[in-house]
Amino acid sequence: MILQIIVDMVGLGATYALLTIGIALLFGILGLMNFAYGEIIMIGAFAMYLFKDYPWFVGVLAAVVFAVVVSVLTERLAFRPLRNADPVTLMIASFAVSLALQSVMRMTVLPRTQGVPPQPFLTESITVFGIRVTVLQIVTLVLCGVLLGGLALLMKKTPLGVQLRASAENFQVAKSLGVKGSFVIMSAFAIAGVMAAASGIILVARQGAVSAEMGLTPLLIGIVGAVVGGMSNLKGAALGGLLLGMGTGLLEATLPTDLIAFRDAFLYSAVMVVLVIRPQGLLSGTKVRTS
Amino acid sequence: MTNSTRIRRLFETPILLVALMGLVALIAVFGDPTITRVTVQALIAVVFVAGLSLFSGNSGVMSFGHVGFMAIGAYTTAYLTIPVNLKSSMFSDLPEPLGFLATIHAPFPIAILVGGLAAAALALVTAPIMARLGGLQAGIATLALLVIVFTVLNSWTDVTRGSSSMIGLPKSTTVWWAAGIAALVIVIAWAYKKSRSGLQLQASREDYLAATASGIAVGRHRVFSWVLSSIPVGFAGALYAGFFTTFNSQTFFLSLTFSFIVMIVLGGYLSLSGAVIGALGVSVLQEILRRFQDGAFTGGNSLPAGIADLILAAVLLFVLVKAPLGLMGTGELRLFRKRSIGSAS
Repeated sequence: MILQIIVDMVGLGATYALLTIGIALLFGILGLMNFAYGEIIMIGAFAMYLFKDYPWFVGVLAAVVFAVVVSVLTERLAFRPLRNADPVTLMIASFAVSLALQSVMRMTVLPRTQGVPPQPFLTESITVFGIRVTVLQIVTLVLCGVLLGGLALLMKKTPLGVQLRASAENFQVAKSLGVKGSFVIMSAFAIAGVMAAASGIILVARQGAVSAEMGLTPLLIGIVGAVVGGMSNLKGAALGGLLLGMGTGLLEATLPTDLIAFRDAFLYSAVMVVLVIRPQGLLSGTKVRTS
Repeated sequence: MTNSTRIRRLFETPILLVALMGLVALIAVFGDPTITRVTVQALIAVVFVAGLSLFSGNSGVMSFGHVGFMAIGAYTTAYLTIPVNLKSSMFSDLPEPLGFLATIHAPFPIAILVGGLAAAALALVTAPIMARLGGLQAGIATLALLVIVFTVLNSWTDVTRGSSSMIGLPKSTTVWWAAGIAALVIVIAWAYKKSRSGLQLQASREDYLAATASGIAVGRHRVFSWVLSSIPVGFAGALYAGFFTTFNSQTFFLSLTFSFIVMIVLGGYLSLSGAVIGALGVSVLQEILRRFQDGAFTGGNSLPAGIADLILAAVLLFVLVKAPLGLMGTGELRLFRKRSIGSAS
């Protein structure tokens, strides 16, 4: 029973970590709290709906392509003209981008919720040592592990990763040392797009439906995870997401049923407390100015 | 600067803005029902945005949570003005300590007042948090506040009816109530802006470290303006409830927040005149866009739903890029052009 809860918690934690990384990556480099990230996830999920009659890897591939293209486009059209704006202006701009993407989808291809039957093999479950694990949970864990590991390798070992980390540390200095600012920012948006696509794919498989509004919940989760973990630090953010997911899983398993509906209220109260006590995040060492 | 110009400077902006409210009210009185509806909505928006600007304009901290205060004002008005016999059937499962909600009743003006005070109570509880945060952290904290209020309203169905609508409110918001409260809020916001606390808060907005180094207790002034600004926003909620007579938990969430943000950013969030003009202008724009979406300008062919939101989002992005301080910047509405800075002393 306890093992079962732990397995569920880790599965949720990995999913949340993925959501958080996409938010934290852009925040670290641009100071952008990207509210349009939820819509990028929705675009990825929509690709899965569009190609639902084809073999699954076509949908997955399309999800990645769609999400990356739209993510890079938002940078080019909306965020590049605002590159030197302060974080709050950027946040408001991303609000506008989010609403614009949602409206476009609602106007054209997604006026209402559409069902996407999950791949039959995902719903099968296997029992190991008395614990029921669905294939979807295993796929989620593997996908999150591969992506997080891949991102860690990219950041540590490749020239692009070095440039990304340098830009996150100090964008102006990095630029004067020869880092191509626009290229680095675009790649950050592209990487965030890949993360969003993966989250979208997992989300579709879990919910079995796509809608224009589906981005809000994962977006809020990503932001909370990033705030709790430490916004400008990828490792902290990933851990924050993981902790948040495991905490949510624990709350769901232990909270009395009539309080589960208020789960988010508890969660966001905790966020406000964290912001006041440790504005740099629970797991981040550096101090940040709060005013 | 002579004494008389100083006095003129102090009073001309609020007089102009209050006169503007009177003018808008006259348009509503003599216009057809549609125009009346749009104007009253615009006046309610003015009440909200002027209240928000009391906090954001002076402190420079953007709040995404004020719609939560508006919700408090609206729900308070619902409990106070829905006829008692209807209420007892609407809220049959009220938990014990809140049983009085089913029996209390008050006239609309009292409901407005209590709505504002109830919002202030929530502001007081969250004030210690706002005193310590600024910039992006404050933005996220206020958003968290909005989500908390929404979650509670949406899930506590025995008390709030959740996503099913509040019904049976008497239609109490008249043009004069809306215009009167808008004028009152404008005067309060202006008085605060020119007060000692308001000026010190503006100093902290321009340079936080310099302000604290000069001995300004930034946190205290933030708390004061946070609580003070929640009261008009609660009024706006009460007026909203008394005007539309029905709403639910979904009403006071992100899309309403977004349209208020468009108003305050478009007008210029550092200027009270900007906030008022933004609220009026965007309300009219939203109505035009709604007609456009319904096909009023395309020969009756309605356009796909969402195009109004899309255009609004595009307008906001354009303003953020081209004029981040909005139409008014830091200026205020004046009769005479401002003299050069050198002569001001």
